[in-house]
Amino acid sequence: MKKIIIILISAACFSSCDVIEGPYMIDNGTNPIDTTSNNFVKKVLIEDYTGHTCPNCPDAARQLEAIQEFYGDQVIGMAVHIGKAFARPYPESMAPKFQYEFRTKWGEEWDGFFDITTVGLPRGMINRTEFPDDYRLGKDNWSERVISELEKDPEFGIIITPEINGNSGTINISVEALSNISGTYNIVVCLTESGIIDWQKDGSIEIEDYEHNHVLRTILNDGNGEEIGSSFTEGDKWEKTYSINISDLELFNIDYSNNTLLGGNGNAGGWNTTNMQIVAFVYDITNYEISQVEEVHLITE
Amino acid sequence: MKRNLLLSFIFISPYFVFSQDNLGEIHGNFETNLQSYNEDLSIEAEEADEIILNNAYLNILYNKGNFSAGLRYESYLNALKDYDPQYKGNGIPYRFASYSTDGLEVTVGSFYEQFGSGLIFRTYEDKGLGVDNAMDGIRLKYSPISGLYLKSFIGKSRTYFDYSEGILRGADAEFNINEALNLDIKTNYILGGSFVSRFQEDKNPVFNLPQNVSAMSGRINIIRGGLYYYGEYAYKINDPVGAFTMDKNNYATGSAIVNNITYSQRGFGISFESHRVDHMEFRSERAKEKEFIINYIPSLSKLHAYTLMALYPCATQPEGEIGFQTDLFYKIEKGTLLGGKYGTKIDMNFSRTNSLNGGNSFLNDSNEHTPMLISFKGEELYFSDFNIEIYKKLSNKTRVNLLISKQKYNKDILEGKTKGEYGIINSIIGVIDISYKIKQGHTLRVELQGLLSEQEDKNAKYADGDWSMILAEYTISPNWFFTFQDMYNWGNPYVEKQLHYSNVSVGYLKGANRFEIGYGKKRAGIFCVGGVCKEVPSSNGLNLNISSSF
Repeated sequence: MKKIIIILISAACFSSCDVIEGPYMIDNGTNPIDTTSNNFVKKVLIEDYTGHTCPNCPDAARQLEAIQEFYGDQVIGMAVHIGKAFARPYPESMAPKFQYEFRTKWGEEWDGFFDITTVGLPRGMINRTEFPDDYRLGKDNWSERVISELEKDPEFGIIITPEINGNSGTINISVEALSNISGTYNIVVCLTESGIIDWQKDGSIEIEDYEHNHVLRTILNDGNGEEIGSSFTEGDKWEKTYSINISDLELFNIDYSNNTLLGGNGNAGGWNTTNMQIVAFVYDITNYEISQVEEVHLITE
Repeated sequence: MKRNLLLSFIFISPYFVFSQDNLGEIHGNFETNLQSYNEDLSIEAEEADEIILNNAYLNILYNKGNFSAGLRYESYLNALKDYDPQYKGNGIPYRFASYSTDGLEVTVGSFYEQFGSGLIFRTYEDKGLGVDNAMDGIRLKYSPISGLYLKSFIGKSRTYFDYSEGILRGADAEFNINEALNLDIKTNYILGGSFVSRFQEDKNPVFNLPQNVSAMSGRINIIRGGLYYYGEYAYKINDPVGAFTMDKNNYATGSAIVNNITYSQRGFGISFESHRVDHMEFRSERAKEKEFIINYIPSLSKLHAYTLMALYPCATQPEGEIGFQTDLFYKIEKGTLLGGKYGTKIDMNFSRTNSLNGGNSFLNDSNEHTPMLISFKGEELYFSDFNIEIYKKLSNKTRVNLLISKQKYNKDILEGKTKGEYGIINSIIGVIDISYKIKQGHTLRVELQGLLSEQEDKNAKYADGDWSMILAEYTISPNWFFTFQDMYNWGNPYVEKQLHYSNVSVGYLKGANRFEIGYGKKRAGIFCVGGVCKEVPSSNGLNLNISSSF
């Protein structure tokens, strides 16, 4: 009887097991779509909700990086530090560890609306799809959602044109409808910064010189953005120019940390404009799904 | 949800159709848990925007001869804070119909199932933990000959109000030799084998992922008089999580070995349990999320009922651990010197788990590691507990239960903290539990508990330090009970955290209904059932619990 069972089990296995032999990585020479031409392509925003004292979060950041590496410019990342559990700076007595304030007013607002910290970090939203059911994804589920998003046709084209001198200047955003689109859409214009070297918990260790990339710094037109219109016909355009002063924006975060955030210490300055990007995304106001997103460097060479 | 309502109507409709003929039986039970949340900055308790939160459910079960059907209505408006907020709204996530005829049992809809000890498959529900990974699909059970029991299923596992993407298929066979061959011998042998496979499409363009991942196990159970042996070996083929990064995709196979041996006779029992698990978390989806877990590895430690004994509970690390537990039970006969008039029960228990040597098995294009089969010395300790429990009835009216325990708890590993953050917490816990019958129907029970702790790494972050606890419970049977409980964190290294966590509650029981109302503060902590744990946030507020059955 035992033999029969063993035979049955092994038979079942051989007919329905996929034992993968190495090499495990596929070397199929896939190249990202060339996004430098004038034609608009669908792009995807990965919002990586994270925190500097969250030990599992760097895994998510690495996953985001790997997805970006594979798809190139089509995938845009944004690291949003949120919550008091994982993003609050350590008290001064524990200096120099984890003294920086990565949180922002808008990150906290988004967390409040999308209810991210309650399910634990790290979590990501991929173009904010499938709200309110299956939208707060663990990192292992990001790539699949990215793939299905990239299969869609682009509905809008976004062109971002910054003109920054020193600490201030203008950012021009223009949006073009690429087909006939019903519904109402908003645009949100954000600034992110890469290459911030500061503390981060990473699994079982604390890294002093961790590189924090595409960290959300500020939003130029509020967390909900502003309307660009509804019921578009192909070729419809929307355009706006924002005047910005980086020092003012920086000061806003410092004040917000000092006065509003739980455990805030105001240590939110030191922005480096050369490492900053502008990220603009257009979303459907009924289901919050991001239809298109674009990113350019704040300071163009 | 519409589909669920329709299905549930179909399933319970036979009752309405036949009820006039008084055919079949219908039973059910209901429970609601309501809790208010006030802000309490001293314990970092948050208020709820909704002011009160509520979890409720109703089970209905219909039976008629060989047919049964049931459903469970669940309501989370919104879920209590110690629940995952993905439990949200109302619905009927659980509904089934089942019948059996000539040895074949057919179940469609929701079902809970376990193969062997659960190493490769166990779906279950635990309200305390907020775990419910019920299968939805089809299950067949068949007994073709006496002593041979076959089970098979196909379905998807529940994740909150949704289902996992992976499709699960499984089969199990159990063969009771004595029953089958009609043997009349003292030793009873039961053999079993199971197989479970998950299908999930590979959409990863960077890595080659297995679409069909299977796990299998074989088990043997030998019973002879008071001697009981259970052994099971489980194996899982490569099951990488499907990340885009190389170091996160572990292509190693998983394995688990369980050996339990127990001997018991009147007034005496001894048991030895051990397991070694290596990369053995099995999920209904590739992604590493707790809601997808469909196997179960019980923890090797005594499940303590007293609060401070369970303050630092052991949680199984399915990705890699090795450990054992031994338990000795002895009853000193009454009439002896130590036994006294009523006898004395003594239970000694020791458990210990540690890491696998060099971590769990790992395999990818650039890295390969296989830990040694057995290694204790020099490995990272996860948990150990040595405890003695003495239960004594002193007189007709008084009973005493004494416990003392020495525990080591690796907070970093067991709570998923950064290595070196807290290190190992050594604690000594003592409990005195006295129950005194004042008069007929009136009983007072008092628990005094104390926990002294010390962290091995003096430079690590401070844990909570020392605790004491008192609990007084007054019962007027059969209707009333009153409870007061106070936990006092007097030894917290931070003076501002040397707080009292007090709770009062009153309960009323009548017939099939039970009402309990309470008020107090709860501390943030880890709550476990059988090695599965969850983090519970602190709270301050009123709670109301009503349960009833029919």
